[in-house]
Amino acid sequence: MEGVAMKLPSFKSLAPNAISIAAGHRSFSRVRRSFSLSVSSGASSSATIAADSEHLSLGHQARKDFRILHQEVNGSKLVYLDNAATSQKPAAVLEALQNYYEFYNSNVHRGIHYLSAKATDEFELARKKVARFINAPDSREIVFTRNATEAINLVAYSWGLSNLKPGDEVILTVAEHHSCIVPWQIVSQKTGAVLKFVTLNEDETPDIDMMREMISRKTKLVAVHHVSNVLASSLPIEDIVVWAHEVGAKVLVDACQSVPHMVVDVQKLNADFLVASSHKMCGPTGIGFLYGKSDLLHAMPPFLGGGEMISDVFLDHSTYAEPPSRFEAGTPAIGEAIALGAACDYLSGIGMPKIHEYEVELANYLYEKLSSLPDVKIYGPKPSESVRRAALCSFNVEGLHPTDLATFLDQQHGVAIRSGHHCAQPLHRYLGVNASARASLYFYNTKEDVDSFIAALEDTVSFFNSFK
Amino acid sequence: MAAAMSSSCCASSLRLIPFKRTLISSVHYPAKTLFFRPIPSFRRTIVTFQKISAGIVPPLSASSSPSSSDDLQPIEELPPKLQEIVKLFQSVQEPKAKYEQLLFYGKNLKPLDSRYMTRENKVEGCVSQVWVRAFFDEERNVVYEADSDSVLTKGLAALLVQGLSGRPVPEILKVKPDFAVLLGLQQSLSPSRNNGFLNMLRLMQKKALFLEVKAEEGTSSEEASVLEAESDSKPSLIEDLGTEEIEDSDSESNVDALGSRGMRIREKLEKELSPVELEVEDVSYQHAGHAAVRGSAGGDGETHFNLRIVSDGFQGKSLVKRHRMIYDLLQEELQSGLHALSIVAKTPAEV
Repeated sequence: MEGVAMKLPSFKSLAPNAISIAAGHRSFSRVRRSFSLSVSSGASSSATIAADSEHLSLGHQARKDFRILHQEVNGSKLVYLDNAATSQKPAAVLEALQNYYEFYNSNVHRGIHYLSAKATDEFELARKKVARFINAPDSREIVFTRNATEAINLVAYSWGLSNLKPGDEVILTVAEHHSCIVPWQIVSQKTGAVLKFVTLNEDETPDIDMMREMISRKTKLVAVHHVSNVLASSLPIEDIVVWAHEVGAKVLVDACQSVPHMVVDVQKLNADFLVASSHKMCGPTGIGFLYGKSDLLHAMPPFLGGGEMISDVFLDHSTYAEPPSRFEAGTPAIGEAIALGAACDYLSGIGMPKIHEYEVELANYLYEKLSSLPDVKIYGPKPSESVRRAALCSFNVEGLHPTDLATFLDQQHGVAIRSGHHCAQPLHRYLGVNASARASLYFYNTKEDVDSFIAALEDTVSFFNSFK
Repeated sequence: MAAAMSSSCCASSLRLIPFKRTLISSVHYPAKTLFFRPIPSFRRTIVTFQKISAGIVPPLSASSSPSSSDDLQPIEELPPKLQEIVKLFQSVQEPKAKYEQLLFYGKNLKPLDSRYMTRENKVEGCVSQVWVRAFFDEERNVVYEADSDSVLTKGLAALLVQGLSGRPVPEILKVKPDFAVLLGLQQSLSPSRNNGFLNMLRLMQKKALFLEVKAEEGTSSEEASVLEAESDSKPSLIEDLGTEEIEDSDSESNVDALGSRGMRIREKLEKELSPVELEVEDVSYQHAGHAAVRGSAGGDGETHFNLRIVSDGFQGKSLVKRHRMIYDLLQEELQSGLHALSIVAKTPAEV
């Protein structure tokens, strides 16, 4: 079943059926059903997936929707284990993007004609889908950005520059992604604010007690990851928010590694800001979003200036639009936003709880198998009853450079992992290593993928060791 | 045709054709030109790998002989040891064996003394850490030493060290990076690693040129030039740049007007060379990190320039002679804070 390359119909043949688009976005699934695929993706697919679930794992079922996974690289079957870097896109998302350009591409919020009204509707519908996906109370609290990095920069430049004073403290951890360190460095230099870093405890997780102690009256912002892209650990955001709010500080959550993999409820977390990337959650690149509490967004000055974010423009001054438009200057990535909406539909169709459950299983399996190999050091906490790891492992093999491992795995076995610092240089410096290798999974990976990876890794290690 | 890669890996799939074309077309090195422009990133240029069930496209093996592509530098133009290495790799069919060969080279590479693992000796664009050091022997041939923390990269470094060491500067400068294609290793290496390989070669060539230029200056009648801390007019065993801090004993304060040095350079070159084309680009900001730069010529000194000159004056002159001409003309600048020039010097016919 694995090796069969699904020949999905070309888009040309979709055209005659897709003309009925006027009926609304549901036509996508109508169109898909006209082809005899055993599993179709999209909002209507959950029933079919449930029916098949007796003998097939979620990974096996979902794989069918991802044509890119069915190929060979360098003479071996592709085993894609670099999902923390970017995820693959199911056919439904690709179709949504294609359909936008093919049938109703038009600039949004500006025109009056039919196509532009349609595009605007779909664009705003995508915003609602994202809001629903993270349980934001109002879709106007979702600002579309280019990616999570831009979203953090938005908060840094807009909220940060107007709220941080000399001596104010911003709390981060040493495990943050560069996108949640560098903007704060820039802004703290401009405002005189001070950055403080929470270090790791013996379990190689950020020290929560240390964080609690660090939060003081001077703290204005706590900007932390939800799930670490290197350590696979998660932070207790709800607690952190409580502590921060007690002292009047805000909390920004970098949810890039959590939103794609589990249920994230911004109301439950009560975070002030939350960012995520589309491309890590089966959506296209070029789009991400910032969730911000309404009152905060309303008080923030613009980030980028231009069309769309204005109300009235004179030669010497302008007035600005309400959020979210205030922070969406220029023509947005319309097709991409709509495709992100389709990704939200696809994932919701499977169900985030189901995805998370499957990944927990896979995460444990990966950790178990990887840690059973000799001379392998995996970073981050050990999984246990109380500690759940994300489905990724950053690791090093004694005496071997991660780049050598990754190269050999790719060239000889078609296994795609990542090697380097994973945009977390301070963390690697703290751990005392130059670089690490990382295998990261998503719900379309299977136990067999993990087995292939482990076998390939064993072969790789023995090859290099024979040269010592 | 040594269809080494294709037969053993994936007979029915498209090989790295887009990659190869990208390599050839964007890395074009006519023999007489020096190439200090940044090399484009080759990351992720491979777009599709499809299993073709019907109608197998004959795979274009990148380890083919030079005759299959007119763009490749003929193997005979390579330094002799490098030719040997290339032939050796071409004769090894299996990719795994190529790796073994590469690792073997790396194992026998003389380790680099840690005091040479400086910023100036580090190769940019490598996912692992690589350092390269260069110095002259008694006969003014370049001797290289290198090291890396990754064994595959060390193998590549060893390959380059063995292939290029003990050769004169002009020969080293003539080597085009696309001999990597001849090795057949390119396909065994990811684009980011290949980037490192190209940058390694580029750094080695740049160091060779600097050694040559420094040596030329050392033999001139001028006092200690800015480019060496300890002036030594004998060309033997001149240490490479970067291991010594470049002190400027005569830090001028005439760099108040931004672009004044740039203007002077321009004037001088125009006056003396009557160029058909002249581009003077101030890239000092790119080097703002060097401690040496910060010390000399003021905080925002004009220290690094890219020059592109097309002039009849270069007719009949070798590459090194052309560079020497330019350096001679800019002696004053070089002694007052100008650190380095990246030069493209052509005759109108060569453009």
